[in-house]
Amino acid sequence: MNETLKKLFDAILEGDQRAAAAHVQAAIDAGIDPGEILNDGMVAAMSEVGRLYEAGEFYVPEMLIAARAMQASMVLLKPKLIQSNVKSAGKVVIGTVKGDLHDIGKNLVALMLEGAGFEIVDLGSDVTPDKFVEAIRSEKRCLVALSALLTTTMPSMKIIIDAIIAAGLRQNVKIMVGGAPVTETFAQQVGADGYASDASKAVTLAHQLIKAA
Amino acid sequence: MDKRTVMKLALEWENPPYVPWNINFTIPATEKLQAYYPGRDLEDVVQNHMVNVGYDIYFYEDIGNDCVRDNFGVVWDRSVDLDIGIVKGQLLEQPSLAGYIFPDPLAPYVFANVDDQLKKYGDRYRIFGIGFSLYERAWTMRGLQTLMTDFYDNPRFVHALLNSIADYNIAQINAILKYDIDAVMFGDDWGQQHRLQMGPRLWHEFIYPVLKRMYATVVRAGKKVFIHSCGDVDELFDDLVGIGLNCFNPFQPEVMDVSALIPQYRQRLAFYGGLSTQQTLPYGNVLDVRRETRHLLELGQTGGYIFSPAHDVPKDVPLENMLAFIDEIQHQPGYLNLV
Repeated sequence: MNETLKKLFDAILEGDQRAAAAHVQAAIDAGIDPGEILNDGMVAAMSEVGRLYEAGEFYVPEMLIAARAMQASMVLLKPKLIQSNVKSAGKVVIGTVKGDLHDIGKNLVALMLEGAGFEIVDLGSDVTPDKFVEAIRSEKRCLVALSALLTTTMPSMKIIIDAIIAAGLRQNVKIMVGGAPVTETFAQQVGADGYASDASKAVTLAHQLIKAA
Repeated sequence: MDKRTVMKLALEWENPPYVPWNINFTIPATEKLQAYYPGRDLEDVVQNHMVNVGYDIYFYEDIGNDCVRDNFGVVWDRSVDLDIGIVKGQLLEQPSLAGYIFPDPLAPYVFANVDDQLKKYGDRYRIFGIGFSLYERAWTMRGLQTLMTDFYDNPRFVHALLNSIADYNIAQINAILKYDIDAVMFGDDWGQQHRLQMGPRLWHEFIYPVLKRMYATVVRAGKKVFIHSCGDVDELFDDLVGIGLNCFNPFQPEVMDVSALIPQYRQRLAFYGGLSTQQTLPYGNVLDVRRETRHLLELGQTGGYIFSPAHDVPKDVPLENMLAFIDEIQHQPGYLNLV
């Protein structure tokens, strides 16, 4: 790996946002291809964050500071990515379901997906089925990520999926669900395409689903 | 034999005559149960074995728009969650306590109900509860994600904040110890569904030393220490027992092996909770609820266990499932012999 990108990778992993921003600027100034900076520096670092999380070496705080460093770098890199026409890994429309205001899990998933190169449309929390439908109406191919922390709000997942079907948009999207009480069985029962138990696994699932979309 | 004695026997593994219980219900679940028992006092129906004395966080000022403000100044939006709510805004916008004045830990409202509760439910095990007792109180003031990054960005502030919260709690504990209570129950969620939120290293660095100080105040007085901590936290049990913990709640069966832990910690740590609120109660049928309840009661026969659902009973639990576990616990032979 290029030395500057290696420094960028390390800075993100350590959650050092100033260093990360400095190294991404150095990489841009050195004329490194924006796509290479994104994939070899930033996406690779966030992938390592996910690996360390699953290995039990990183927890939520380490994930958050790494994601923050990644975002600080992205601010500088984004205009270059647009100029160079570098495509995102896919678009993800994400939100907590109607009735559920708990958003930390959803935020972590959004951060990790962003770190994996996905474009995030964060609808926030307590999102109605109509808002999800509206957000995906003009999309030809995207992911929808639904989060619920409570058993009392899990039924909203089926209501949202049914609304997407009723709007005639189901074939355009792949739907993933998650949240503390959500299970693989529940995901199948409500007609979702996949379930992930944490933010890191959500990235793996998103890559699988976007390929199948 | 009164309920207080049964609780004490259970907490000491001294073969209680039956497994004691203590069940809390969310507001919607209470309404469901109350509709089934019109005009009855649900305390008489349920026959809980603990009485909560004093108020800690449960002093809220209604500020309109479905919002309340607690005594620390944290605003809670209760437009959806009627029982607890969601923190709105950020009380401590900067990583500093400068200018922030803690509430008076000895304010009269904290102890206002103690005498009445002890008089009304004197036969029960007496608990003083301190909800949001440390980490949770810190993040309600600072914001969860912000506090998580503060561990790295502003460690001295986090230490100061946690120790200030502990000072507040310790002052309150010292005051409640003047009453004839049995235990202090701390409440602080450290877990996710799988693993700790902040990981063992940060937990040991920031939280453990402060817990040690708080628990010591209770232990020195010869009282029991309870903790309510949601999520997958059983990796901390040995450390917690080492600083004086006696009883762990909520004992969620989805995140820890309840059948293995009761015998594993025999004579060291008692458990309170255990009935699934994520699966069995909302989605199981009456037979499922009865089966799981009986299994838990068998596990706790010789002590070390207090029966309860692993959370205040949520609103999506069918009435018949509530009635099923109430029926099972109240038909324990040892209980029937005493009533």
